[in-house]
Amino acid sequence: MEILLETVSLLLVGAGAFFFAVGTLGLVRLPDLFCRLHALTKADNLGLGLVIAGLLPWAADPFLALKLVLIWLLVMLSGATGSYLIAKRALRGDGEDLLE
Amino acid sequence: MSEIFTAAAVVLVLTMAAGLVRVVVGPTPADRMMGVQLIGTTGIAVLLLLGFAFEMPALADVALVFALLAAVSVTALTRRRVGQDRS
Amino acid sequence: MTAGLLLLFDLVLVTTLVGLAIAALISPDLRRAVMLFIAFGLWLALVWARLRAPDVALAEAAIGAGLGGALMLAAARRAARRASANGGIDAEGGEA
Repeated sequence: MEILLETVSLLLVGAGAFFFAVGTLGLVRLPDLFCRLHALTKADNLGLGLVIAGLLPWAADPFLALKLVLIWLLVMLSGATGSYLIAKRALRGDGEDLLE
Repeated sequence: MSEIFTAAAVVLVLTMAAGLVRVVVGPTPADRMMGVQLIGTTGIAVLLLLGFAFEMPALADVALVFALLAAVSVTALTRRRVGQDRS
Repeated sequence: MTAGLLLLFDLVLVTTLVGLAIAALISPDLRRAVMLFIAFGLWLALVWARLRAPDVALAEAAIGAGLGGALMLAAARRAARRASANGGIDAEGGEA
């Protein structure tokens, strides 16, 4: 039982680290702003979600597990809002200090 | 299990250091802010992994503050251009 | 095993922290310097967490990276606007 749990946790954390690495690679290598935004949101949502899913079985009490899930939901919310704002300002070109 | 978490934290810190390239060279401020956002999210993952590896659950609170303040700094950057004649 | 990993972790952390501080200090563009400062604050919070001081990390993340970053971003914007209103001759550094 324990070894199964460890294997699943290792796989989930490894997959999360892989998504973070791919997202960083995309942010550094992709050619323009919207492509980079696409790579960034994948790393944000999926990478952190997988890492937190791998950590959840090791949480000592249910409140800590609840806090971890809450952090993930908060990151998804703020990441979506921030990416939307950046893309909107970049598309309309009316950001005050975004694009010059 | 703590070794695995520490190893994952090391890998994530290396990707954070690679993502800093975009913050330093990024042509527009939007690119830099996206780099900072990615650093914040990866930092949350590193903090959680460290918290479980060191058995310090208080680091989850620090991760929560990271998540809150990423939204603040992105919103502070993406203001619309208003009041051009103010000096 | 764990000690070697932690040594590597510390090495990466310290090298990048010093590099970020130097990059933020010598940057000619004000907004670039502010964003490097925000990244520096996040990184320093990570260092405090590694040193097992979560309370200091909390304060650093909230004040140094979040509020300080947002306020300095507004200050840099205002300085650039004032410099461009003065015809770009204000000695604010950067291209204004």
